[in-house]
Amino acid sequence: MDLVDQVSMALQTSVVPTVIARGGEIRVLTVEKGVAILEVSGSPGASVPLIARIESLIRKAVPEVTNVRMVGPGGRPLDEDAEGSLAERVRRILDVEINPIIAAHGGRANLVELKQGWVRLELEGGCQGCSLAEVTVRQGIEPLLCARVPGVVGIVDVTDHQAGQKPFYTAAKR
Amino acid sequence: MTGVRSGRVDLPVTNDVLPKGKRVLLLVPAVTYRATDFVLAARRLELDLVIGSDGALPLGGQPVVHVDAGDPSTSSQHVLARVGALDAVVAVDSQMLGLAAEIAATMGLPHNPVGAVAAAADKAAQRCLWARSGVSQPAFRIVSADTEEPDAARQAKELGFPCVVKAASLSGSRAVLRANTESEVTAAVIEIQRILAETEKASSDHIVIEEYVPGAELSIDGLLSDRRLTVTAIFDKPDTPEGPTFEETLLVTPSELAQPVLTSATEIVEQAASALGLRYGPIHAELRIDTRSGEARLRMLELAARSIGGLCSRALHFLDGASLEMMVLLHSLGCRVQAPRLTGAAGVLMLPVEKAGRLEGIEGGEEALAVAGITGLSITIPLGDVVRPLPWGDRYLGFIFAEGDNVSGVRDALRAAHRKIRAVIN
Repeated sequence: MDLVDQVSMALQTSVVPTVIARGGEIRVLTVEKGVAILEVSGSPGASVPLIARIESLIRKAVPEVTNVRMVGPGGRPLDEDAEGSLAERVRRILDVEINPIIAAHGGRANLVELKQGWVRLELEGGCQGCSLAEVTVRQGIEPLLCARVPGVVGIVDVTDHQAGQKPFYTAAKR
Repeated sequence: MTGVRSGRVDLPVTNDVLPKGKRVLLLVPAVTYRATDFVLAARRLELDLVIGSDGALPLGGQPVVHVDAGDPSTSSQHVLARVGALDAVVAVDSQMLGLAAEIAATMGLPHNPVGAVAAAADKAAQRCLWARSGVSQPAFRIVSADTEEPDAARQAKELGFPCVVKAASLSGSRAVLRANTESEVTAAVIEIQRILAETEKASSDHIVIEEYVPGAELSIDGLLSDRRLTVTAIFDKPDTPEGPTFEETLLVTPSELAQPVLTSATEIVEQAASALGLRYGPIHAELRIDTRSGEARLRMLELAARSIGGLCSRALHFLDGASLEMMVLLHSLGCRVQAPRLTGAAGVLMLPVEKAGRLEGIEGGEEALAVAGITGLSITIPLGDVVRPLPWGDRYLGFIFAEGDNVSGVRDALRAAHRKIRAVIN
């Protein structure tokens, strides 16, 4: 079994299902001079935040690997696309059409980054930690942005919902 | 396992019903742990999703219909008028089960009878229906929620001690107390009456007094199709408390119990669901193994017409990449779901609230996450919130998740991580 297979196997059990569950894909491109190159596609938020965990897992399972790097589809660097004007349009829709409405719940949505059409969005106030935040993002904000800004393919919610102090609805078991 | 390929997932279904584009009404209560997982599952299946919710949602790019679970008839008519034809109706959590049944019945979609869903939500009705069908369960008595305490104590004495006193209408271990003496029964009844008064259910509710069954506990999740159960997960619950309150704690899967025990447990759950009139959709059942007579006898504790609660389903990683919520949605659309295979051992620990007060901090999170095998920690109560322990509270501080090659490793990891966590409550 070569190093690519060994790294693939290390990812298979826990990382791949987690990445898929978050709307992404991940596969091993090459392993050269101790560096494992992983190609990630789909939602970048599905895999990029896991890089430390993935590296630790691979290094433990395959001691020959000393470093792990993620690249986009076709080996492109992940930070290649600036998409500045698209980001401006997204920001404008957020400021003019979305935030005034969700302010009724004490909430606000901020654009963190836009890459390859994916809007990385951070929610705060009443939306941060709200048990219905996902519904608002998927049924409200995402379709609105996709319809109004051609080029936007979806939203990655990068909010730290656990840090929410004033969620509009708090999760509970009733 | 063979399945139908859709996007990045080999769907665990045996027939060729592709869900993509099917129109599903998801009934999402405002107060739930489960909204995110169901919405993401629907998205992965590329469903045409319509949300019905009692929450006041600020944005509704696609249809978000306001519903009131307390008024299913009016809500059902409202949904029919607003939404049009649907392929399935799915309740995300307990509060919406009755409404989901009502809407599905009106639309001619496969679902449980409304009466069966109501019976499954009432612990007194459950006990009575199971007794009528000979389902193995603890001996019990039922008293009105406004009963005089001496009457409850007398009934408990007839039953024998220790016993468990519980409100019939509440879930999540709320208003459930062990009593070892008549005076403890009296105290438990008074406390449960106070809890019920707070929930405005006092006038119509009942209190169940039942035999305390010592022994190992397990839970079974599955999907009913014409009363036949396809098991999706069996969890052992090794650290279940012996009272006076019954916090959910540690759940690990796959079960380490012997296969004949699991087969019997599955048969009893199927029988229990059938006795309630349930025939379709997800169920979550809890059982204990009573060994007092010298042989292992399974006893049904409770059964709900929904999948496992809280964030517990996130512990389940199936080989085909599907989530439990995806299976529930697929099943609702008529797909024949196969029993899934896990990628390995997994577990979840629900962090109980240990005292009343204001949650000021959670310490030790980094240390807990550093324990080998721990894959996640999710704190679900915002800092600053007032919390209450059981039997009053209805929330857990959060959830710790673990994965590993074997169950004992997962169990040890969760216990070790739990020891690192300290909630600052003042």
